[in-house]
Amino acid sequence: MKRAEDWIRFLRKYGPIARNGNMFDEDIIRTSMRTGIAPITFEHPLIERLISCFDPFSDSLKSVILTGAAGDGKTHLCRQVWEKLGGDCEVWASDEPYVQTTIQHSRKGLIQIHIIRDLSAWVPQQGMVWPAAKEDLIVRFCNLLFMGDPNELFLIAANDGQLIETWRRLDAHKIAMKVSALFEKLLVEDKEEDPSVRLKFFNLSKISCAELFEQALKAIISHERWKDCFEGENGESITFGRQSPIRKNYELLCDSLVRERLKTLFDLCDYNDLHVPVREILLLLANAILGHPDCGGRLMIPNDVARVINSGTVSKASLYNNIFGGNLSVISQDSIPVFNYFNLFRIGRETTNRIDNLLIYGEEDEQFQPVFAQLIGSDSFYGANAAYHSAKRTYIEGADEDNESYKTFLDQLVAHRRALFFKIPHDQEDALGLWELTIFRYAGEFRKKVFHALKEGHKVERRILSRLVKGLNRIWVGMLVDDDRELYLATGLSFSNARVSRILAERISVNPRLGQKVDIILKNNKPVLLVALSKHITCTFQLSLIRYEFLSRVADGALPNSFSKECYEDIMSFKSQALAALSRRRDEDEEEKDEDLVFRLLRIDEHGNPIEESVEALDV
Amino acid sequence: MSEFLAQENIVPRPYQSDHQNISPWLDEQIWGHRIWDSQTPWLLFLEFLTVAEGCLRENKLFDEKGVYYPTQFRPYRRLYLRNILFNNECIFRIDKIYSDSRRAWKEWFEKIEKIAQGVPNRDFTYLQDRFPTFHDFAALIATLRNTAVESNTNRRWSSRFIFPFGSYTLYEDLNLKSGRPSREYINFGRTGELLYLMLCRSRYNEDIRSPVEDALKGKNRLNSLIRLLQPNESEDLQLKGYSYLPYKRHPSFDLLGEDWNSIFNMGLPAFDAFQHLVQLGSFHMMLYQLRTAVWFCSYGKKVRFICEAIAPKKTLIRELSIINYQENNVLTTSAVENYVSQIAQSDSWKSAIEESDSEIDAFTRCKGIMRDEVWWSDDYDGPSNIYSLIAELRNIAMKGHQQHAGNVHRVYGRLVGLVSKRGTNRLRYAPNDALLKSLIIANVSNRMELNKFLDKLYQKYGLIFGEREAEQVLPCESFDQKAFQANTQRLERRLSSMGMLRRLSDACAYVINPFAREE
Repeated sequence: MKRAEDWIRFLRKYGPIARNGNMFDEDIIRTSMRTGIAPITFEHPLIERLISCFDPFSDSLKSVILTGAAGDGKTHLCRQVWEKLGGDCEVWASDEPYVQTTIQHSRKGLIQIHIIRDLSAWVPQQGMVWPAAKEDLIVRFCNLLFMGDPNELFLIAANDGQLIETWRRLDAHKIAMKVSALFEKLLVEDKEEDPSVRLKFFNLSKISCAELFEQALKAIISHERWKDCFEGENGESITFGRQSPIRKNYELLCDSLVRERLKTLFDLCDYNDLHVPVREILLLLANAILGHPDCGGRLMIPNDVARVINSGTVSKASLYNNIFGGNLSVISQDSIPVFNYFNLFRIGRETTNRIDNLLIYGEEDEQFQPVFAQLIGSDSFYGANAAYHSAKRTYIEGADEDNESYKTFLDQLVAHRRALFFKIPHDQEDALGLWELTIFRYAGEFRKKVFHALKEGHKVERRILSRLVKGLNRIWVGMLVDDDRELYLATGLSFSNARVSRILAERISVNPRLGQKVDIILKNNKPVLLVALSKHITCTFQLSLIRYEFLSRVADGALPNSFSKECYEDIMSFKSQALAALSRRRDEDEEEKDEDLVFRLLRIDEHGNPIEESVEALDV
Repeated sequence: MSEFLAQENIVPRPYQSDHQNISPWLDEQIWGHRIWDSQTPWLLFLEFLTVAEGCLRENKLFDEKGVYYPTQFRPYRRLYLRNILFNNECIFRIDKIYSDSRRAWKEWFEKIEKIAQGVPNRDFTYLQDRFPTFHDFAALIATLRNTAVESNTNRRWSSRFIFPFGSYTLYEDLNLKSGRPSREYINFGRTGELLYLMLCRSRYNEDIRSPVEDALKGKNRLNSLIRLLQPNESEDLQLKGYSYLPYKRHPSFDLLGEDWNSIFNMGLPAFDAFQHLVQLGSFHMMLYQLRTAVWFCSYGKKVRFICEAIAPKKTLIRELSIINYQENNVLTTSAVENYVSQIAQSDSWKSAIEESDSEIDAFTRCKGIMRDEVWWSDDYDGPSNIYSLIAELRNIAMKGHQQHAGNVHRVYGRLVGLVSKRGTNRLRYAPNDALLKSLIIANVSNRMELNKFLDKLYQKYGLIFGEREAEQVLPCESFDQKAFQANTQRLERRLSSMGMLRRLSDACAYVINPFAREE
């Protein structure tokens, strides 16, 4: 039993508890050594490429900058490189931020490797003078980047802010300024390399968090210590038996539908350029299994389980709710980005009549009964329990005006809606409106029919493209245009981005014609809307999920308030880009510019069809 | 005392005979003739363009040739154009009724002949050859009218302005009440002339000459279209000017020039630069007024603005900003008060008293000094003692100041989007999206690290958003690091939603100028 309990305590260390952030990796390693529990590890998607930079048989040796946010695993990766290069474990355990080792290169002989595993701990504090040795080392690194065939290499790990800040402080050195500008460029433009230098610039914040999630989940659920919990005698105990919420949550995480939906949430983060570091993915998973609002630190330890079961509060340990940090205080939820991001999707808060009718009247209503039984009734753990029934009754009867009991019920509804997001089976996604449980109603479509379709080499359906074109037309022109065969590039007389743009500059055919077309393609592995004004002149607009949602909703005739302000400017700057492209095409083709006195006025008829009228003045 | 108040930096005051109606000449001596509160940013810009266009025609754009007063120019009136655009409701009705173009023209000529005002000759028939059909004419007029500046305000037609596509669209504000056109000061209150003079005296006057010249010449089809709406004969132009800007050099002039120069350098498409010039023009005018006021208050403090990045509910920043606003709002009044006190402390005043043998003698001498200094005292009919005289001047000066110049901070502040009442009933600094956008375009050529940007906003304009800046100026007891951090975060979210900020991680964010040309 002790082995099982130790494991739960160890897992808890990954959860949302106060700790020393900078030393996370070191902490875990120490605990692991002490308890003999293997840390949760998996192969980082970058590790091979990282190690190959220091390969003794390679001819393209390169120094490496390893950057990213806190918790992205910089220290962890450095340690793996250190071990791979045969570095001394004792030295590593010293916590010294700067360590050195050597490798025997097949051609060049001995090569020195400098590893600064924590730049912020190594550089002098803000306002202090740089010790000459440190300053020299950085300058040496800078010079090295521009050398043809170096015989020493660096690996520097730092979060991007520190990186920029450190180099800025060395502005007395021209070379440091040059490198600083380079870092900035690589960071902002999302690049790994620049032809002018021998450097690999790995930004861990750019790695898909859905990919990391899959690895992390696998590592957690396949950890050897679970056997200690669920097999043999322990598997019959109160703590780990059939009634245990820890066990239930673990089993849910192993369930393929739950895993898939959870991965989808990380996909949504990726689509919206929201980055979740590895440490937070592990945090989320540990919290999902152990979360309970009434326990110390809001996470269960083995001793809590019996009490939770006896007090009838098992439902508060619901994995479905824990995934969103529902077991934590609002302040903690806000301070942990991954919960912040997940709560942006408003799962549990968004709903439809159909879903709420199912939850509230499902048990009594004939039409809903089978679905209710399947999704809620049959779930003896987190489904409709006695407390739910009584709260529901109070709510429906509405006898007293007691706000407190209303609130209890509404909170329970939130939890149930969240659960539904993980329970609705594939074949009922459309019928029950799975995506309407989130703020992104088009997310399912975006994922399957845009992102995956493109990844698998298919074209995006025409109906989707048409919808986006229609949305774009409405925003760019500022009138309720219904056309989706052509893209209308229009401006105001005075401002190119006038809210209502009545002066037509050009119509671009959506179907390919004379080099013109509008399409959705993949660029840098992300879906973009491509507008081609000619064979050579194109402009692209990255389709993040929020933009996709916005364009789709506008095309459907609704201008959601929460989106409109955020996306409007964004989409208008794409129009500026398209106008600039048009003017390039006109320069190139020596087309007639808008300098004659013919004006193409745009208006729409009562059916939303755009009508173009040319009016003219005669230059006498 | 500021170095800028040294005698050699002050433009000699004009002859009183040029400005006989002004008494006392006091706000004018501190800030110029004149800084006028009821002029919107666009009208200020249009007035500026009108002066610039007049000077360009005489080959002296942004070049005072060492003579700081008087700047003279001959603005256009363009009454044919204005009648066609703004005194011509019948055109649309006629266009609707008559499908036959010839009949439509005939009908319209008859109508406009009766309606037109202020034109020497009521003949508009030159238009018929310039459009293929009457409908083309009417449709274009309708479209042009949509571009009118501040078209939603209820101004009379002779005070309405077309978008400044180029020289043919520029004209002065007029009053046609008597049937004969005369200069109107309500919309063009001369602050645009001050803006012109500020740019003349800015370090960037050479840099912005060419882009302003291009904007004025307006080589574009809209300016050509507007030209076609006017007869070929030239009009009889009258000499205008005589505005007075007291300083030969001033930090605000250079900052204004710097910002305009940056905006021009962005190479924005068509007329898109104008909105930023407009906004920053009035913003700098307001800054100029406050900065100058501080010199007279001898506080020695830098003018600063604690800005709230709009928060959904009351925050500490909002509280601080409200107090800060109120402090700034009395700066100009204090300046006027101090100016009056300085007269009574001047050497000439003291020696007048010392050298006088009686109280009445002193009174007469001091009255003379006051007449020279501020062109006031002849109307004074109070008790014959110098204390009452000074008190009365203070009284009159404050009254005058509070009517107009004293409102500039509030009125311009609100119009340029710096000052806001949103979410509360008291005024404070809470820059809106448009102002933030203009500030980014003027200060970030491509991208800039957020902290550096915040520092620049503080150094250049005194705008405070973040903790680093706040810490420098606030006393310990008002400084709350967390509150300012939250403020920066809100600002960041807003910029990011406008596509003008990219956060790379929790440690690193860049302000992005969306119009930056690719390197």
